[in-house]
Amino acid sequence: MTTRQIARGLTLAWLAVLCVGTGLARAQSPDIGTEAQREAGKVLYMKLCSQCHGEKGDGAGYATPNVLPKPRDFTSGKFKVRTTGSGALPTHQDLVNIIRKGMPYTSMPSWPGLSEEEVSNLAYFITTFSADFSNPEAAPKPIDLPSAPASTPESIETGKKLYEENGCIKCHGTLGRADGPSALTLKDEAGNPIRPANLTHSWTFRGGSSREDIFRTMSTGFNGTPMPSYLEALPPEQRWAITDFIASLSDTNGPGYTNLIVARPVQDPIDLAKGAESFASAPVARFPLLGQITEPGRSFHPPATSVTVQAIYDAESIALLVKWHDMRADKTGKNSPSLPIPPEEEAGGEAPSAAPAASETEADPFADTTEDTVAPPAEFSDAVAVQFPVAVPAGARKPYFIFGDSQSSVDLWFFDLARNEPLQFIGRGSGDVAVNDAGDVTGVASYSDGEWSVIFRRPLRASSGAPFTPGQFMPIALSAWDGSARERGNKRALSVWYSLYMEPETVPSAAGPMIRTALIIFGLELAIIGWVRSRLRSQARNEIRGEGRPQPAMGS
Amino acid sequence: MNITVLLALIAVLVALRFMKAHLLLWAGAWWVGIYVLLRFGFRVPIPASVISIYMGIVTLAILAYLSSSDERREEVFGPLVRFMTERRHTPFLAVTVLAIPALAAANVYVQMNVAIEPPFFPRTIHPASPTEITVQDQRISIDSGDNPYRALEQSNPDEFRKHVENGRRVYYQNCFFCHGDNLGGNGMYAHALNPIPTNFADGTTLPSFRETFFFWRVSKGGPGMPEEGAPWDTAMPAWEKMLKEEEMWDVILFLYDFMGQRPRAREEVHQ
Repeated sequence: MTTRQIARGLTLAWLAVLCVGTGLARAQSPDIGTEAQREAGKVLYMKLCSQCHGEKGDGAGYATPNVLPKPRDFTSGKFKVRTTGSGALPTHQDLVNIIRKGMPYTSMPSWPGLSEEEVSNLAYFITTFSADFSNPEAAPKPIDLPSAPASTPESIETGKKLYEENGCIKCHGTLGRADGPSALTLKDEAGNPIRPANLTHSWTFRGGSSREDIFRTMSTGFNGTPMPSYLEALPPEQRWAITDFIASLSDTNGPGYTNLIVARPVQDPIDLAKGAESFASAPVARFPLLGQITEPGRSFHPPATSVTVQAIYDAESIALLVKWHDMRADKTGKNSPSLPIPPEEEAGGEAPSAAPAASETEADPFADTTEDTVAPPAEFSDAVAVQFPVAVPAGARKPYFIFGDSQSSVDLWFFDLARNEPLQFIGRGSGDVAVNDAGDVTGVASYSDGEWSVIFRRPLRASSGAPFTPGQFMPIALSAWDGSARERGNKRALSVWYSLYMEPETVPSAAGPMIRTALIIFGLELAIIGWVRSRLRSQARNEIRGEGRPQPAMGS
Repeated sequence: MNITVLLALIAVLVALRFMKAHLLLWAGAWWVGIYVLLRFGFRVPIPASVISIYMGIVTLAILAYLSSSDERREEVFGPLVRFMTERRHTPFLAVTVLAIPALAAANVYVQMNVAIEPPFFPRTIHPASPTEITVQDQRISIDSGDNPYRALEQSNPDEFRKHVENGRRVYYQNCFFCHGDNLGGNGMYAHALNPIPTNFADGTTLPSFRETFFFWRVSKGGPGMPEEGAPWDTAMPAWEKMLKEEEMWDVILFLYDFMGQRPRAREEVHQ
């Protein structure tokens, strides 16, 4: 510490004492740390954060064109996840928390490896980007966050009503699947497109998935986004009720991603008209989807983050039920796995969503307008594809997971959801996908409250494609296209290879082998004991007869 | 060799000898002791099949020892015979006779009810590279080549920093989705990938390879993997389709620079 620093410190301390002493300190200044802490934070920031948030903190880093949601612009002084009121700055601890925990399903990672001091220094440095932090009047004050009452069926029911009455459905949708009428028109204050949270996937909540997190988000709102604060509008017990309803929409165990679909045999012939009902006996397999970022025509942030699959089979055919959430059913336009993506679209980063380009009006989903802002119809329709190898793999070798390769091709069951029937394609690589006219896949699709349900059916032994036989493991991969995000061709969400297991109709019962094993061992035991006892008896008899012959020892 | 396990075993055996343990206990202790030694006594685990072969030999050897004289035979089998024949042991004998088949049946049940697992296919994580590759019409020697911008580190540090910075741009526009902000192989899509993305922050991966090896992996990606690398599974793109040659060399410079590590030196033949 130099003498000058000490002198400055003393002056500051003196001023502070003076302020407190004279009662001038009406508001406490934001906690922005010391010069040394901010300097230490700067070094870390330049190495670990500036690639997205920019060296000037303006959210314009190298990665910015390719990520969505866009990195926070620290110069705006607006932060999403806070414990403070709407429009207020975050506390130091708020900044520390978000660095430590990150934002799930965004490009903001958690930083578990940094020390307490490092995270704290980073949080202090971030305050240097916005002048608001040096405003003594802007000291952030955490709002009152009362502790959670127990969630009850009644509170969930109340919450459901309040959720509908308070406009939540306009963005988040009736069942919380982010399919509200305004969902596709949302923009943040910087004009970037932003998607409402899918309330049925709590593991993707940016501010955390606990009930406390949900309550806090609803109370404080997300500054700079269309998510408002309900602190003034609703009393705490009503906010807790909505929290309970939202929490009830997601599986508390998280996504439960797996690597296996178990196809269950069914007795009755599969009837497509019955829809999802036929799949009641089949376990649900959820797979994560990622953006197709391997081949040119990349999709860095597809709206679909996961897909569920169930499978059944009868004597003749196999059927798959594929479900995923989509903000809107795009049944206009067309789609195909082979539609080309112009290179400039990828270079420009995230393509504009279906948000109205001409309309400059701020999309305020909470404005009391009689007409909702509705995004125009999409140029491309929604679509889904299930992918199998054309031949059952003999060993480890599978076709390339992105539409196969020149040596081993894939059988694509593709459903353009603007059409009534699925199509089959043969994929020999993402640049070589051709319609397979010999295909015999049929299907039905329906969209309800933000969820597509698509059923594919194919004969177990089809004219083209690999046969399905009980007891067999078959590689399977999936793709989903969201038309309103202009996804088509290579630009889509996809999965890597997983497995489909054809569970045999009669799973061998363990009872038979168990009884057999037990009886064999029991019989052996009785034989040994019987033999030992008879040997002993004959020995005793011999002794009584006094023949006195030397006896062979037992067990020889 | 795990010396503590060996010492503990010797201590137990010496103690049993000292206590003049019953021959049956003595034989049992040897059998268990040798099993423990094979199972836990070596740092490199011995395959289960090899252990079962050894234990078969050990069982025969112990039986041979136990039946090597009349006294030993009597000492071992006497108590067993008394257990099976004397009236006072009958209730316990009945329980034992029923318990053993029940345990065996339970074992059968457990064996038949393992959860269904998809077939597992092992793969080679860092398969051997070809000696030479062609990238964007340029022939690049993996064996004898070098990162063409590495030399700038000495000759022109300013120019070198520019290449590193360009590599940083390339990394955070293309690679961090999978390999992560911190190079830890934990990017936002890592949870959806199998095999998982390579972790460059583990301290050992980067220094184990020459930069040309990474150039091969970056430019040719999953599709350029040899058969043993299971090219159909990995999502690593063939970056030659999307990046310029210089960008690929630069991103490799960035990896080493970020971690403060150096590539493995080229082997020299000393005459």
